[in-house]
Amino acid sequence: MSRSDQVSEHGSRTAKESGREGSVPRQRASSRSFLASELKQLFRRGRTQALLLALAAIPVMIAVVVRLSTAVPPGRGPAFLDRITQNGLFVGVTALIVAVPLFLPLTIGVVAGDTIAGEAGHGTLRYLLVAPAGRVRLLLVKYVGAVAFCVAAPLAVALAGAGIGAALFPVGPVTLLSGDVVQPGEALNRMLLIAAYQTVSLLGLSAIGLFLSTLTDVPVGAMAATIVLSVASQVLDQLPQLEWLHPWLFSHYWFGFADLLRQPIGWDSFTSNAMLQAGYIAVFGALAYGRFVSKDVLS
Amino acid sequence: MTSADRGAGLAIETTGLSKRFGHQLAVNSIDLAVPQGSVFGFLGPNGSGKTTTIRMMLGLAAATAGSVRLLGQDMPGKLDEVLPQVGALVEGPAFYPFLSGAANLHRFDAADRHASPGTRRARVAEALDRVGLSHAARKKVRAYSLGMKQRLGIANALLSRRELLILDEPTNGLDPQGTREVRSLVRSLAADGATVFVSSHLLAEVEQICTHAAIMSVGRLVAQGPLAELRQAGTAQLRLITPDAGAASGVLVRFGMTPVIGHPDGADAVITSVLPGSAGALSPNGSRNPGGAGGTGGTGERDAAAALEAAPEAIVAALVADGVRVRGFAVERGSLEDRFVALTGEGFDVAQ
Amino acid sequence: MTPTWLRWMPAVAVPAVIAAGVLAGSVPASARDPLPGKTPAQVLAMIGQHTTKALSGTVEQTSELGLPDVPQVGPSSGPAAGSLAELLTGPHSARVYVDGPAKVRIQVMDRMAERDAVRQGNEVWLYNSKDNTATHLTLPGIASGKQDRGSRMPGSVATPEELAARMLEKVDVSTDVAVRGDVEVAGRAAYNLVLTPRSQGTLVESVAVAVDGENGLPLSVEVRARGQQEPAFRTAFSSLKLEAPDAAIFNFTPPPGASVKELALPSSGYAKRDLGQQGRETSGLGKDELGKLENDRKAPAAAGGAPSVTGTGWETVVGFPARANSAAAGAPSVDTLLNDPLLRQATVAVPGGRAISTSLLNVLLTDDGRMFVGSVPLERLQAAAAAR
Repeated sequence: MSRSDQVSEHGSRTAKESGREGSVPRQRASSRSFLASELKQLFRRGRTQALLLALAAIPVMIAVVVRLSTAVPPGRGPAFLDRITQNGLFVGVTALIVAVPLFLPLTIGVVAGDTIAGEAGHGTLRYLLVAPAGRVRLLLVKYVGAVAFCVAAPLAVALAGAGIGAALFPVGPVTLLSGDVVQPGEALNRMLLIAAYQTVSLLGLSAIGLFLSTLTDVPVGAMAATIVLSVASQVLDQLPQLEWLHPWLFSHYWFGFADLLRQPIGWDSFTSNAMLQAGYIAVFGALAYGRFVSKDVLS
Repeated sequence: MTSADRGAGLAIETTGLSKRFGHQLAVNSIDLAVPQGSVFGFLGPNGSGKTTTIRMMLGLAAATAGSVRLLGQDMPGKLDEVLPQVGALVEGPAFYPFLSGAANLHRFDAADRHASPGTRRARVAEALDRVGLSHAARKKVRAYSLGMKQRLGIANALLSRRELLILDEPTNGLDPQGTREVRSLVRSLAADGATVFVSSHLLAEVEQICTHAAIMSVGRLVAQGPLAELRQAGTAQLRLITPDAGAASGVLVRFGMTPVIGHPDGADAVITSVLPGSAGALSPNGSRNPGGAGGTGGTGERDAAAALEAAPEAIVAALVADGVRVRGFAVERGSLEDRFVALTGEGFDVAQ
Repeated sequence: MTPTWLRWMPAVAVPAVIAAGVLAGSVPASARDPLPGKTPAQVLAMIGQHTTKALSGTVEQTSELGLPDVPQVGPSSGPAAGSLAELLTGPHSARVYVDGPAKVRIQVMDRMAERDAVRQGNEVWLYNSKDNTATHLTLPGIASGKQDRGSRMPGSVATPEELAARMLEKVDVSTDVAVRGDVEVAGRAAYNLVLTPRSQGTLVESVAVAVDGENGLPLSVEVRARGQQEPAFRTAFSSLKLEAPDAAIFNFTPPPGASVKELALPSSGYAKRDLGQQGRETSGLGKDELGKLENDRKAPAAAGGAPSVTGTGWETVVGFPARANSAAAGAPSVDTLLNDPLLRQATVAVPGGRAISTSLLNVLLTDDGRMFVGSVPLERLQAAAAAR
């Protein structure tokens, strides 16, 4: 650390720069504007819009197929499929269930894997850093962007589902798993809750994607690795030999949102899921920090 | 001299800066000193370590050893305070192809937490105007030519008022017209008081716009100083035509030269000799001059003194005084190009 | 610039903190005062005396019976709910709401589905969300008030302590009953009543019942099998609140669109068996109710097929004759068992027939259609079959 001995000598000279630091409120405003720029760029980008459209297409596809086909025998296909003809609101729930294992992780993988590696791939990472964006700040802004997508993705499925369901099928009181019946307003609330549950479910995967994204300059690699991990976690969750590991897998509670369709609502899986995801965010956030702050940006 | 004294007037100062990639030493203990207000040419063949040095200066890569100070502050320790005053073009321009030129600049400006969002629109427009891209501001960068991207990259470096501009190969991909524009842009920036650090492998470019220069070769800094000194330091050759070869040699030896006597046409002898103080005397870094701790700033003056002693007119006067019949006398001074090739010592396409 | 190792500190520290937190969480939060010492008879008396009328909680059940696991893959819900084996394999969790004996709701929480049993007064509803079917039955005139424990015990003059002592005397021949170190279940301190068979000829190693140290409510039951590390069967409260649940929970009307079946109780054993399955989930609560249902179930079987019993205590082997009469009653027959795909998958060919081996129970299906069941090694069943 041969540089350290020179720091003190120049301490006095930095005084003339101190005028810049007086503008703290302006800096905060600028931090917001960086985040705003990131969100704008993420959601205005054609690829992101295509991903959200693809997700919204799932309920539309389900609804149209059910509308055009004869009655589905109960107990076959994804849960609630047979209820759709009676109540359009089930389209959203069914589509969410279908989207959980693959489609949602796929889109999150693309967005989270692209965070840092995408910038590196374009070469824009070096210009962001010399702007200077600040490495920790850049990581945070990028993660918040990924989180915003985690909010948008399940919402796209749920809202598109509710919309197409209301358009093609009657809407009425909804039967919960417990056999109790709730009004459409409450049912819509529950669907939004499920979407929120999915958002929380995907936060851990986003943190993993962010970390993987700091490892490479090739965004496709980080995306693929993130998606593969999400599939691997689900496969491991099915192996009874690894039962001790199951509660630690980030996908373990992905289907736990069924508890939100019971009466009364079971919050246990929501809490467990949130704690697990928080753990993943902490671990992979720390890893991403360690990696990115000490990384040579040579792209 | 402490480094603080020396650093007072330096916009960029590196001390023993090194970077190792695996077994390869990409940058080998270089001591750069870029005076404030100068237009500094950073010369070197491709792969000589210029871009790696620039990356370390800007805190993009960590130094294996040594230190960097920009505008008197430690890098990357004070990165957040220094970089807002530094505009940079690093290893070619890079942009989001799916955004327009103006949107790209907005994005980079938003990343700088010190930049005021209120004036952003105006500053982006001004920067675009300065590089002559106003007409293409709304076009997606995907549709830009290499030269347009290069201009946009320079515009990005000019988004705010900068004290220091670090431009890596700024004229790459530009047509002759664009090259000339960049040259005048650099001059106007320097006229505003900014220090401009231009890396290039184009000697002509450096000779035209720079006040100072440094030359890199295989990771080492082989020479640096004011451009005039570098030119002077180039091997100057004395060429003397006289029938009195013996007496002439005696005089030249007195001036510390080692004359070579030849008889190309049989009548008069042609004596050639390297002018003293012109080659190898300039000390670019510590490795060439072991006492180099105080060398960088003073070398030029000392060399100038030596060169003055051996001024051509003094030699001629001495020859005449000794009765040597001087029938022809010429001093052939090498160009920066000769100097460059002599120092880098490798086949290098300077005409590129 | 901070040195490189410092930057990796968070990545090292965070997992360490999480690991420490998890370890700290798995250790009982505070060292409680030990419960006052009690004899097995006293603990048994506590169970008898417990007056807990209202509670809501979650019961977790795990079993390691050596049966193949029911695969639960993908977004579709679990296997057919009717499968007898399904409830015996893998983990299950159920929410239990009780407000007096006449208000009970049990929700077996399946993946993306739920099975409900709701009792309010004499009305009982069974609901299965998977096929959206509801079954209704009316319990024959058991006035809810008469469910009082004391009145149903034989010889109601006896105090629970005396009853417990008498019971212990009876089982002492075959079983060692002891109170082991306190355990914690659902955050409550509990006595650990352990029943250990004295016989070596049974598959059961021990049965442990955790009894709430405050109110005598059984909180968990754990059955261990010989030569197996994990409990063969365990059901326990994972959370428990001793408050009356919201009354609305016990109101159930079949949702629109559900197919509703009406069951007349005495005519068929099927509904009771189903209820018995549901009841098993809850083990700790209403044990006597469960016992009653078991008895009801056995009655028609005994009438129809006259099973033979060999051995005593833990080594009892029950033999069922060939299927001639089995269709008449709800008794399990070789046919119905083999029709269950999961059980059929579980049978292996052995000398003299096919066997279903679990860690707690062996079943032998002889080639001539008889069935022998016992919590004993397979050789014993084969011996019993050969003895005939």
